[in-house]
Amino acid sequence: MQMILYHGEPNGPSLAVLAALAESGVEADCRPIDLLAGERHALPGLSDATARDMGVEGEGPVLVVDGEAMTESVFIAQFLDESGRQTLQPEEPYAHWQMLMWCRRVTERCAPAAAFLGCRAHSAGKLGTPAVASADLAARWDMVRRGDFPEDQVTDSLRHVTEAVDMVEQQLADGRDWLMGALTLADFETYGWLAGMAELAPHAFAGKDRANAWLGRVRARPSVQAALARATTTTPETSWAPGPEINRWG
Amino acid sequence: MADVTLYHWEPNANSGKPMLALMEKGVAFDSHYIDMLNFDQHRPEYLAINPQGTIPAMTHRGPWGTRVLVESTAIMEYVNEQFAGPDLMPADARDRWRIRWWMKFMDQWLAPSFSMFGWKFFVGPNALKAHGQDKIEAQIARIPLPERQTAWRKAVFGLFSEAEMAESGRRIGVGIQMLEAELGKREWLASDQYSLADVNGFNLAYAMPLSQPHLANDEVTPNIMRWLRAIYRRPATRECWKLGRTPMASRVEILEQDYIPPRDESEGIASGVR
Repeated sequence: MQMILYHGEPNGPSLAVLAALAESGVEADCRPIDLLAGERHALPGLSDATARDMGVEGEGPVLVVDGEAMTESVFIAQFLDESGRQTLQPEEPYAHWQMLMWCRRVTERCAPAAAFLGCRAHSAGKLGTPAVASADLAARWDMVRRGDFPEDQVTDSLRHVTEAVDMVEQQLADGRDWLMGALTLADFETYGWLAGMAELAPHAFAGKDRANAWLGRVRARPSVQAALARATTTTPETSWAPGPEINRWG
Repeated sequence: MADVTLYHWEPNANSGKPMLALMEKGVAFDSHYIDMLNFDQHRPEYLAINPQGTIPAMTHRGPWGTRVLVESTAIMEYVNEQFAGPDLMPADARDRWRIRWWMKFMDQWLAPSFSMFGWKFFVGPNALKAHGQDKIEAQIARIPLPERQTAWRKAVFGLFSEAEMAESGRRIGVGIQMLEAELGKREWLASDQYSLADVNGFNLAYAMPLSQPHLANDEVTPNIMRWLRAIYRRPATRECWKLGRTPMASRVEILEQDYIPPRDESEGIASGVR
């Protein structure tokens, strides 16, 4: 089985998958790509590009296995875990459900907000002109290109980031080190989206001692350090590309 | 009294997913019908179980006490892992990834578009007919969160913008083409065995030949029609649909037809099931 992981700078979903890869022990050929240049849309050797073209996550990492493009960072992390050491997901069904629900809250509410705020702060003027197959993802590229960041969405996004940090703070209230008790892929997924928000939404982290300490613990994991060592910039947490869309139903 | 209780609406969309998964696994459960259009989900007795007021919800009693589970796709994964019975997730990790990918794509990208059309042309008008505008307004006014009131008002009274409807229509067209192409690759949606992706997809797509007769029929989407009929023939599906209480449940009977020809888009609108 040939496995190639195309990833952006170690931030957001790329960081989550790189950390999960290191924890899993699975061997994959890691190849950095420039997400803002649109290199993700011109990957060579794909026999099935459906998930690359239409993934809900937007500009995240792509794991190519025997020509099939695999996307969505949580599900790639699950695949790597299940193909390797199997340490990143609870075995007990209810605990597994709790982890999946946590990841859904992060990917559906926090991730669109973080990608929106990250692109607003750091990505304008840096975008290439790739041929994006998904019309709605292409529209999000255009919004970033135009600098079209409506104030109501800025306010809403800041609220979602704040709620995510609050959720982390509350989850750690019983003194646990990791979000689900044992270390899981939820820690990496959550860290990936929140690490860059400390600069953009500092009020969300103010006084959140448990959440801030947890960020430090995740960052210190050898798997996260290995992911960060792949950065080609000194500030990977400022690397953002168009992400998931903000819920159409509000 | 069973250890499992499922709080659900019609065997359709999100409610239908855990209903069919439980039926496929052969898990005995108490069915607790929540009349969504009578706003049962905002009543104190239901909020005591699921404070979010979303449907479906499932409770599971055991040595641990009572667990409360929400979110239809996540409930299905729990049901599959917790109970004996046919495994609805394959052993191969890449197949499981594909199942999860398709469920997320359907849940977050495609289903909201179907939902917008469903509310505009079917659920909303039926709710108004059954309960009247004044009663519905009064029910919506009792919902605690203002943004939820806005969302419900928009849904029941069909207050979607032209741009929103056009975008949903575009996604429905693209999504149907994607499903057709994927079902041309293998017998089932995301793997070579019947899985949670098929349970999820059926609950999203079963009414397409009625609601989108120009896009889903035996001429232009033969793979989708083969797949829908195969799921409809399963005993669990038949049992599941017996739990429906409104005319919505009868829509699935279109799959008893051996051949469904293409029809004009307007016939989908006229059928009142879009």
